[in-house]
Amino acid sequence: MAQSKALEQPIEALDETTLELRAGRRDRWLTSLTFLVLFSIWVALTGSGLWEPLIKPIFLPSPVAVFEAFQNLLEGGYQGRSLGYHVGISFYRFATAFSFCILVGVPLGLLLGMSRPIRAVIEPPIEAIRPVPKLALLPLFLIWFGIGNLSKIVVIAAPVFPIIVISAMQAVRSVSQKKIQAAQALGAGTLTVFRRVVLPASLPGIFTGIRVSLSIGVTMLVGAELTATSEGIAWMALTAAEYLSTDIVLVGVLIMAIMGYTLDRIVRALEARLVHWSGKD
Amino acid sequence: MSIEPFDLNGRDRRNGAKLAVEHLSKSFGSGTSAVQALAPLDLSVRTGDFLCVVGPSGCGKTTLLNIVGGFERPTSGRALIDDRPITKPGRERGVVFQQGALFNWMSVVENVAFGPRSCGVPAEKARQHARELLEMVGLAGFAHRYPYELSGGMQQRVGIARALANDPEILLMDEPFAALDQQTRELLQEEIRGIWRRTGKTILWITHSIEEALFLATHIVVMTARPGRVKAAFRSRFSESPDPLIAATPEFTAAKRQIVELLRSESQRAQSLEATV
Ligand SMILES: Nc1ncnc2c1ncn2[C@@H]1O[C@H](COP(=O)(O)OP(=O)(O)OP(=O)(O)O)[C@@H](O)[C@H]1O
Ligand SMILES: [Mg+2]
Repeated sequence: MAQSKALEQPIEALDETTLELRAGRRDRWLTSLTFLVLFSIWVALTGSGLWEPLIKPIFLPSPVAVFEAFQNLLEGGYQGRSLGYHVGISFYRFATAFSFCILVGVPLGLLLGMSRPIRAVIEPPIEAIRPVPKLALLPLFLIWFGIGNLSKIVVIAAPVFPIIVISAMQAVRSVSQKKIQAAQALGAGTLTVFRRVVLPASLPGIFTGIRVSLSIGVTMLVGAELTATSEGIAWMALTAAEYLSTDIVLVGVLIMAIMGYTLDRIVRALEARLVHWSGKD
Repeated sequence: MSIEPFDLNGRDRRNGAKLAVEHLSKSFGSGTSAVQALAPLDLSVRTGDFLCVVGPSGCGKTTLLNIVGGFERPTSGRALIDDRPITKPGRERGVVFQQGALFNWMSVVENVAFGPRSCGVPAEKARQHARELLEMVGLAGFAHRYPYELSGGMQQRVGIARALANDPEILLMDEPFAALDQQTRELLQEEIRGIWRRTGKTILWITHSIEEALFLATHIVVMTARPGRVKAAFRSRFSESPDPLIAATPEFTAAKRQIVELLRSESQRAQSLEATV
């Protein structure tokens, strides 16, 4: 049906956009298929009440059990707090850390990229602390910033901040010299060159830094809620693991996965809108 | 019709030259790894000249243009515009690069309007002017496309329109058509000749193509292998001919042979030079 309709259309109708739409639809279909297969394997291994599980529920509960655990958590909360509260507090920690990194890190990176003296002052210390495993600093952060939210926010920001700063700096430094010269020859002053050439040309690199650090930030959430707290979605999963409540652990893990995935999608969508021209020189 | 040898530096040319290059030299690096790109070189370009520079690869043509553009400083000597030394880029010198110099985050019309806007023209007025220029280079329908949606030839047209938007006194072009196919190149050569005739702009044009030089130039400078000096200079009248098939005439072929032979000996020298580096 769809095919005969396509044949009736004039050739010009099959333009770039239509072809791209079709390819996109096919890609999405294939992706859904992957998830369907993975889910089926999960169902098959755990039985889901239909047959004997091949893996003990304590190692891998069935999807049905996980869904039930999710419903129970929605109704009864976890350890005196609602599920929404746990998710909310984790998101608050993550979002605060990330907003700080972007709002301060991107301008700082741009500045470092533009000015050699400032780079000489600030880049070496940032490079020096970059390889230090930030989780190892957690005890220190607890002493410095207390057991409240601040120490958690600092732990998440610690690895994200240098990545965002350095990627913004590199982005500025790799802006094509030719384009800057072209702008200068057209009468643009330093400020115009920065605002209309360097800044937009750096955006793709800045976005890459943000996307890379996104998953690192979600990972650090687990580290941040490892100790000295009794709330948060990662904390929930960690304590549930102590009682071998694998179903609750999985609910927590899935929520964090969805959070990471959604954020990545949002950034990608923004990227596609704002830097659609990237890499097409 | 033919080409005739020409003294680019005669006193009558020096005085009132639009662009003058005096004993200009440029070295890159220092010590034993120093590379001398330009030997002391002298040139003068008068208002309305269309000066083409041809020379073996690596002889310093781009370096010369970068110095005139104000992007690089000479090691010695100086370049002057209207008797004022060039120290930095300026809007009276419009530059067209070979490729990859368009702002790919801006639409075509914004690219062309960039110059006037940077010089304080209100945005709407600059865009209006840009649309007129785009019409002139045959891209009226592409104002709101992005550079990546255009072919190589169309992108070069945008580059030319962008450089013209500031109404520069002199246009500097570094092999602007080198990356284009033969047909597109010929078409654009016709166009640039038309623009030059209509506007009377002074043009400094670098090219690898001797035909292009003969077809476009009023003056042709042949450079030596690195370090680049002026090997020969010619006054050419082929560009004045209304005959679009001028390239097929025996005079044109003879002129071409004359320059080819000059260049061949230099290219051989350039190769032996590269071998020793
Ligand atoms: N930034 C630089 N640093 C060091 N050497 C350079 C630099 N720019 C150019 N050179 C050298 O100077 C010489 C002249 O280079 P230039 O680019 O001006 O040549 P060209 O005549 O434009 O060559 P082509 O025809 O291949 O474009 C070359 O030997 C090149 O290696
Ligand atoms: Mg060159």
